[in-house]
Amino acid sequence: MNQNLTPQTGHGTGDYVTVNIGPSHPAMHGTLRVIALTDGESLIKAEPEIGYLHRGVEKLGENLSYHQFIPITDRLNYCSAIPNNVSYEMAVEKLMGLEVPEKAQLIRVIMMELARIADHQVCVGILGVDLGAFTPFFYLIIQREEIYEIFEWFNGARLTNTFGRIGGVDADLPDDFEERWNELKPNVRKANEETEKLLTHNRIWMDRTIGVSAFSAEDALNWGFTGPCLRACGVKRDLRKDEPYCMYDKFDFEVPVGKNGDVFDRYIVRMIEMEQSIKIIDQAYKLYKEMPADAPLMARVPKVIKPPAGEVYSALESPNGELGFFIKSDGSANPYRIRIRPPCYMIYQAFPELVKGELIADLVACLSSLNVIAGELDR
Amino acid sequence: MAKPVVKKEYTLTERIYLWEILKGMKLTWGHFWFNFKACWRPGPHTIPTCWQYPEDRTREISPVFRGEHYLQRDDKGREVCIACGMCAKICPAKCITVKKGKREEGEEDKYASKTYPASFQIDLLRCIFCGFCEETCPKNAIVLGREFELARFSKEECILDKRKLLLNYRKAKEEGKLKPPKKRVPVVPAPPKPEKAEGGEIKKSKAAAPGKALKKPVEKVKSTEQVEATQNKEAAEKEK
Amino acid sequence: MDDWLVAIIKVVGIWVWVLLIAVVMTWVERRGAGLIQDRPGPNRAGPWGLFQPLADGIKLFTKEEIIPTKAQKFLYIIGPALFSLPAFSAYAVVPFGDKIILGGKEIILQVSDVNIGFLYILAIGSMAVYGVILGGWGSTNKYSILGGLRSTAQMVSYEVALGLALLAVVFVYGTFSLRDMSLAQQGTFLGFLPNWGIFKQPLGFILFIVAAYAEANRVPFDLPEAESEIVSGYHTEYGSMRLGLYLFGEYVNLVTISGVIVALYFGSWHLPYIDLGAYLGPISWGIVSFCIFFLKVSFFLWLFVWVRWTLPRFRYDQVMGLGWRGLIPLALFNIFITALFIQLTV
Repeated sequence: MNQNLTPQTGHGTGDYVTVNIGPSHPAMHGTLRVIALTDGESLIKAEPEIGYLHRGVEKLGENLSYHQFIPITDRLNYCSAIPNNVSYEMAVEKLMGLEVPEKAQLIRVIMMELARIADHQVCVGILGVDLGAFTPFFYLIIQREEIYEIFEWFNGARLTNTFGRIGGVDADLPDDFEERWNELKPNVRKANEETEKLLTHNRIWMDRTIGVSAFSAEDALNWGFTGPCLRACGVKRDLRKDEPYCMYDKFDFEVPVGKNGDVFDRYIVRMIEMEQSIKIIDQAYKLYKEMPADAPLMARVPKVIKPPAGEVYSALESPNGELGFFIKSDGSANPYRIRIRPPCYMIYQAFPELVKGELIADLVACLSSLNVIAGELDR
Repeated sequence: MAKPVVKKEYTLTERIYLWEILKGMKLTWGHFWFNFKACWRPGPHTIPTCWQYPEDRTREISPVFRGEHYLQRDDKGREVCIACGMCAKICPAKCITVKKGKREEGEEDKYASKTYPASFQIDLLRCIFCGFCEETCPKNAIVLGREFELARFSKEECILDKRKLLLNYRKAKEEGKLKPPKKRVPVVPAPPKPEKAEGGEIKKSKAAAPGKALKKPVEKVKSTEQVEATQNKEAAEKEK
Repeated sequence: MDDWLVAIIKVVGIWVWVLLIAVVMTWVERRGAGLIQDRPGPNRAGPWGLFQPLADGIKLFTKEEIIPTKAQKFLYIIGPALFSLPAFSAYAVVPFGDKIILGGKEIILQVSDVNIGFLYILAIGSMAVYGVILGGWGSTNKYSILGGLRSTAQMVSYEVALGLALLAVVFVYGTFSLRDMSLAQQGTFLGFLPNWGIFKQPLGFILFIVAAYAEANRVPFDLPEAESEIVSGYHTEYGSMRLGLYLFGEYVNLVTISGVIVALYFGSWHLPYIDLGAYLGPISWGIVSFCIFFLKVSFFLWLFVWVRWTLPRFRYDQVMGLGWRGLIPLALFNIFITALFIQLTV
């Protein structure tokens, strides 16, 4: 039964049916739309259409001051707002030549890794839901709520955190962070373990994911893949390791890579990354505790931020991949131009390639394994 | 562009489906049994991971939660806001409008400083609860409270005017949900005038640079005990 | 005259009973799902949310019936009826207890003990596919048609495996009547096992239960209504009580299938090692046997729920592969072994 039964596409009579999946469809995360040309169950062609959640974020940025843009970045990848915030702040800091205090950087690392866990949990959970396994989703989402609890006690918001300020962070870690984290850590691990138990070795799950929308490393690089989707293809590329920022070079962690770049590998890479994130948080918190209690959390920043004229691109490894901000400044209080490089925009381009010759059910699996977030995609 | 062909290699237990399925079922049964037992506990909060929201309000909300706004009064019950308009300016959603008024003679017991907001409006329909207004306020007058039930029946009710904001303050105070004073974020101290900025001096003084800091330090940090004391005093006065 | 009366009482009684179980099942499914997933599930309407199905029923009944403009009206309307009718009628030959003696008259607890009960179930069971395919086709919706096609292919394929698995059972018992099969499961097998079908047909039982899950469109074989792929498959366009009939028919199917499983493989109303019928009076034994049977049925109903919230869903080609290349050869093998065994021992 190992042989794949997928019918060869294109052998039909040419009587194809166009099935419109989305923008409001239970499998579409947010408002994505895929126009699929099908021959029975198999896909001849799948064309994504984007822009249903376009809010003109980049244009908005031109009319807001540098600080005012931070809350807008929350709304890019709403599953993990913090890396978005930090990525933007880092871009501005780079433009201004600011040195962020080490303690602030550690707080950033801790929060970003927490957000990474939360993001991966959502992605894996939704992947399960889309493949019909409802239960792991709940086990993961409960732990995500606990992570959000930490965010809430940090600065008062759960989803749209508005974390950090240009030049530092807006608050210190809550006093009971250690307690909460120690309580949360085993729970996150347990939820991941349970998810693995329910899915990883289950033949149904393996059949549904292994080899589905496999992608070669070369293609993935050509299409501009980053993040877990690229690593699943076997390319060891992680900005945290390759171009360390925020003291990531001081932490000991591994970058998991897959082999085939299929849905299963993406899932496994995400599962391992969660474990690695836990490791990073532990190390970062240890370093954080060694800092004096009144160590600065903010660099010296003028009240009205007017970076020198010039342009800058800065990127970090967000849960989805390389999230970059390009900012061009003309020396005034508003950016002249902001351009966001969202990871899933590049990944989603390859979607027609990825699902070519697969079945309709695989389209859904592929889409959720890419973790395409409409807010980030359409901006 | 050809897609790589992936060879599926299964172990025997994976191949026969049933073994892993039974393992999975054992896991789900564990959850079921745990929650089934929890179901019989008294009270609305039975299953530990689930809050029965309208009845069960035991979930603790963070004291720094960014919820519905209120306008602070000082210990003497005077409005603290000086209508400087910083909040309106920083607001990314442009949802705050403030009109300045001059304090008249004999109004010293109403307004803490010479200027006061003649009108103060927050449009909750626009607000994104980023907390910038709270952070930028020089007098710590506007605060995002712990109130999170923001549903209203009409559009007009969603616009918080000064009266509602002050009422929110009273409500928060009565429920003991006033926001604790924010911990100030230490800023890298200003380098001394001659060029001699080394890391060793960082710890030396942190209060040195309030003027230039982005984040205006909270005007006068009161300890929680003090706040409580003033609250008690006010409550006592009210009773009289 | 008396026979008629008894027959009518039995028909109405079992109809109401099956209906009731199906209603409660909708609640059990949701509560069970909730508890498995660390949440309480529907708990507002009535004690423990028990009135939830009632509230749902009222809602479904009072909703406006909408027939899509482009739907093929006739097919659209008879779809749900064709689906639920066989579901209700299939239980007729499944026993629900041993027998009861009232006024010197022996009444068997089964609507009718036809000697081809087996074939009746298979025949009626395969009727249900008409409801699905006609509903899917009549909706004139691409998702619905896909769902209908999936369902048809799946049901047709798994009917073969189901039939072959059952054939081995017929070999063992030498009868087509479900009551005779139930009676044959008394006593012990090999001296220490209960004389139940599962011990004589372990492979057959697994094959049967897998095929039955596929027949009932339950997870992991729920692709005809795979929510995340084709919205909700063949009943995407349905609303109000027509949708209710589809959902309801599914649960009634579950009751029937569980009844068949218990009657064939799990010793019907017999308890292992002990023959209560010898100790109890005729009336009380009738009631007790009914309870035993029902308890076993409820275990299998729960199993449906339990499995549903544990497993992911198959893909269309994998379902077909499993059916044709996994189950059917295994079922043939099972028949072969059974036949060989019978040939050698008898």
